[in-house]
Amino acid sequence: MDISIRLAPGLCLKNPVLSASGTFAYGEEFARIFDLSLLGGVVTKGLSLHPKEGNPTPRVCETPCGMLNAIGLENIGADAFIAQKLPFLGTFDTEVIVNFFGTGEDEYVQMAQKLDLDGVSAIEMNVSCPNIKKGGIEFGKDPQILNRLVAQVRKSTTKPLIVKLSPMVTHIGEMALAAQEGGADALTCSNTFPAMAIDENTCKPILGNITGGLSGPAIKPIALRIVWEVSRQVTIPVIASGGVTSWRDVVQFLLAGASAVEIGSFSLRDPLCFGAIIQGLIRYMQDKGLESITEIIGSLKSA
Amino acid sequence: MKDSNALVKDNRQVAQDTYLMTLMCELSPFTPGQFLMLRLTSTCEPFLRRPLAILSYNEGAVEILYKVRGEGTSLLAEKKKGEELSVLGPLGKGFSDPRPEEEAVYIAGGTGLPPILAMAERMKRGRLIIGTYTKDDIPLWQRMQNIGGVEITATTEDGSLGIRGVATQALDGLLKTIQQPCVIYACGPTGMLKAAASLAKDLGARCEVSIEERMACGFGVCSACAVRTTTGNQRVCTQGPVFDASSIEWRQ
Repeated sequence: MDISIRLAPGLCLKNPVLSASGTFAYGEEFARIFDLSLLGGVVTKGLSLHPKEGNPTPRVCETPCGMLNAIGLENIGADAFIAQKLPFLGTFDTEVIVNFFGTGEDEYVQMAQKLDLDGVSAIEMNVSCPNIKKGGIEFGKDPQILNRLVAQVRKSTTKPLIVKLSPMVTHIGEMALAAQEGGADALTCSNTFPAMAIDENTCKPILGNITGGLSGPAIKPIALRIVWEVSRQVTIPVIASGGVTSWRDVVQFLLAGASAVEIGSFSLRDPLCFGAIIQGLIRYMQDKGLESITEIIGSLKSA
Repeated sequence: MKDSNALVKDNRQVAQDTYLMTLMCELSPFTPGQFLMLRLTSTCEPFLRRPLAILSYNEGAVEILYKVRGEGTSLLAEKKKGEELSVLGPLGKGFSDPRPEEEAVYIAGGTGLPPILAMAERMKRGRLIIGTYTKDDIPLWQRMQNIGGVEITATTEDGSLGIRGVATQALDGLLKTIQQPCVIYACGPTGMLKAAASLAKDLGARCEVSIEERMACGFGVCSACAVRTTTGNQRVCTQGPVFDASSIEWRQ
């Protein structure tokens, strides 16, 4: 049985299960409880050119079947990551996908150049960040701005380029096409949903940042629809992200058209979930008599 | 750190809204101040684990002392003997031992008792101050009396037991009577920790505080539980929850 999946020239995952950015730090903590080599790949916490302190606390809040976070992209910066974290990740037999973001086109380009290194298997760019020079609109919310940004980054790196789309757009298919035409090798669909929680006793927002991103099983049905919609629009592989808690969810995302799946919030609750989910996927394929994972991808039948 | 299944052996009310739970599970040795992340259900509701300080661990039995404050602790209070929970831990960095020449002073406010009592029971020497609103809020009063070598003082805001007032007033008074160097161990509301830190600073005494912050993972990956320190943000779950009080940049 073959559960490996090729996402781009030079990027082949041994299985379709990845960590998600922001819930896996730089891999060290999880490496103390399981062998990272069992993963198809590790997606690191989002990095910027300079270290970032993040938002005031409280930064998380539990919500029905999920959670809000407003960490504020706290990270140690690209240089510290390259010097202190990347060599450790290189000791595992897994793909290392480095997530990054910028405050302007220049920073995205510089990050892509900086991360064009041995030990980095691919880069995943987060485009849900405000474009300071364009009045703060997110790069991922305007197809022309997104297309231009992806094209600039594409020219700046030899690595496979994954674009992590923002879900907060009217036509996500349009954004997906803009990223594909800009030169993206694959798309991650998608990110957390802007949301809010209020304490009725203090009459204050619970998060220090007032609003945060909703994640967890609460968003899975929306993520599934997004993956399905995007997969029908583009020819490049789609990586699903949003509310996965089980091998069943992984299969559903593959049926909807995803080639791989990131597991985020659920791994905060169950840090050992990855192995069980991969095993479940293998059992499903055995039960269905499938030879290759590619037989599942996009094989959704009509209603 | 290990994720293990634990069986509820006992779960009983020991004070107003406060319960003592005994769980059977295999843990590595713990340091007072360390905590567990408890997964309360096998469904995704509630979604996150709950951080709870370890009160004791002996021969496969771990005790946790908790006050019912929200959805998670309400569910915990409903757990019956024989039910199963998933337990991740021991997590975080605990208190350091008092130096031989130091008098240990433990101070707990409100729900901050578990790690403080754990420390007093481990060291079996020093003075412990427990401050609550009223006497019904104080759990395990008899058990505290029975720790050999530890002198117990209670403060209640309504004066129903011990000294009327707040714990830090009693701490101020107590510190004035101690001649030798002191180390203060504190857990409780931020205002109390800040006051204890300030008293310690005036005396030139060491002070270790156990900080509380909302957590998601409890093992250092999500960056939710940040605390501002003199060396930048630190994670309460892995770099704490116990910190040297002089390193904390207190919020207003």
